[in-house]
Amino acid sequence: MSSAFFRAIVRNRTAATGLAITACVLFAVTVGGALSPYSAVDLDFLNLIAPPSLRHPFGTDSFGRDVLTRVLLGGRVSLVVGISGVALAAIIGGMAGLFAAWYGGWIDAGLMRVADLVFSFPSFVLALLLMVVFGSSVFNIAAAIALVYLPIFARLTRNMALLVKEEPYVQAARLMGQPVWRILFREILPNIGAPLMVQASIGVAFAVIIEAGLSFVGLGVQPPLPSLGVIMADGREYFQRGPWVLTLTGVFISIALLGLNLLGDGIRDLTDPRLRERLGA
Amino acid sequence: MGLIRYSAFRLAGMVATVLVGCVVVFLVMKAAPGDPALSILGESAHPEAIAAFRHKHNLDAPVLQQMANWFAGALRGDLGRSLTIAGGVPISELIAQKLPNTLFIGVFAVILAVIVSLVIGTIAALYRGRMADTVATSMAVLGISMPDFWLSYMLVFAFALGLGWFPSYGFVSPLDSLSGAFHSGLLPAVAVAAPMAAVYARTLRTALLGIAHQEYVTAARSFGFRPMFVFIHWVFRNALIPYVTIIGLQVRYILGGVVVIERIFGVPGVGSLMVDAGFARDYPVVMACTVVFLVIVLLVNFAVDVACSALDPRRTR
Repeated sequence: MSSAFFRAIVRNRTAATGLAITACVLFAVTVGGALSPYSAVDLDFLNLIAPPSLRHPFGTDSFGRDVLTRVLLGGRVSLVVGISGVALAAIIGGMAGLFAAWYGGWIDAGLMRVADLVFSFPSFVLALLLMVVFGSSVFNIAAAIALVYLPIFARLTRNMALLVKEEPYVQAARLMGQPVWRILFREILPNIGAPLMVQASIGVAFAVIIEAGLSFVGLGVQPPLPSLGVIMADGREYFQRGPWVLTLTGVFISIALLGLNLLGDGIRDLTDPRLRERLGA
Repeated sequence: MGLIRYSAFRLAGMVATVLVGCVVVFLVMKAAPGDPALSILGESAHPEAIAAFRHKHNLDAPVLQQMANWFAGALRGDLGRSLTIAGGVPISELIAQKLPNTLFIGVFAVILAVIVSLVIGTIAALYRGRMADTVATSMAVLGISMPDFWLSYMLVFAFALGLGWFPSYGFVSPLDSLSGAFHSGLLPAVAVAAPMAAVYARTLRTALLGIAHQEYVTAARSFGFRPMFVFIHWVFRNALIPYVTIIGLQVRYILGGVVVIERIFGVPGVGSLMVDAGFARDYPVVMACTVVFLVIVLLVNFAVDVACSALDPRRTR
């Protein structure tokens, strides 16, 4: 990422807000858990289902565990699962899209039919099916998320690459006899990076919802490992006695996803040529 | 190509996708570790009982033969029998019981989302850059950032437990009482609709803004038509195409949301059936539910394609 692009993000209000929120959330989940005086797993029977207070900003759960500490740790699990799933989809889907656009013909037709087929299943149903068949492990959740996003990245990369493929600089590289992989990864990919980043940013947000949903119904991350979905499923059990567990965990997810969505929107505003034209920039 | 030929062409593609989708899902289900006969009857079951179980549930033939049997049954409307959650009950019966509830919640949610997004999206576009636009777009981003199942609990907390306006759990089938279905289905439908309304409203706003700058709109304005007339006849009608398209594309997310939300509100639908079957390792039921969802998505997308072609005749050429 060039520093000019970074400066443009900071100047755009939507992108800057999104970047700030995302940075805070990432900082909180990576460092916050370690700074907390509580453990995410130790039980404290003197403090069962205590409402939010200065000592426990998110209250405690039915085992007396500090909910904030658990949310920060669970947030780390959820984000790692979401990010690795989307990254896997972006790498595999992106490569498939690049090759489909470059070679065209039956490779293109075949890959896109496969993408269409995967895309026809409701995303959550597809993830659920894979959990049932292959069992719920953290790796399988990431794989399910990757499968949900594969067709999206493949299609997006292909369509963008088809546009860029005809640009003079790509044709020049071709005429100079550059190897195909070099044209694909050094000429085409950097020029279609922005929409892929938008999709990745929004994709991670939705991936966290998929993970949380799977864990919430009990077919995702398995306790005692905390994930945001596991904590919410736990809070659902005693929702009437301690509504803060479920409520505040959801508030945390909403804020984290708001950051990712705003960041994605902001980058799209910055890089959408039609929009820039209209704004006269 | 006329609209009818285009529709027939699309329909054929849809049937092919369903067939290939069924084959893939069938093979994935067969890749599941463990033998259903042993896991249900127990490791120490009598060999004859196991053989009988396998025969009854179409598990004693080679995989390709099993698949052929499954397709032959599916064509006659027979999707096999449930293994565990409703032992021995034909799956088609289970689906027939639960599908109306799922469809009711889904359609109700789409109607709510369309109403809300038409209002919000239009206001945001008309008052672009002003307070109303900022509020509308912020609400839309918030809408897609909240997990729908969390929103469900917040709705239950406020409107069922707090105000007591709606039941917090349970659903009256629309086949029994339509008003009861609307009353008990409102909260789940709102939870499913909220993120959809946000996506629809954003799409509508973007489309309206994009079209407002087209030359034919400037031309219409320069003829001296009233702004509202221009907006409705030139801008809004053309923005409907991306708007209808996004409704079709979002069906897969709606159905995904329905799965979790049905369980939260105790709606006996295909989604909660699939989750229950998933827990009980009832593979044929899971497979049938997946196929039902696939068919719904493809049917809706087919309808959207035809609607878009009717709105924009250039597509079928």
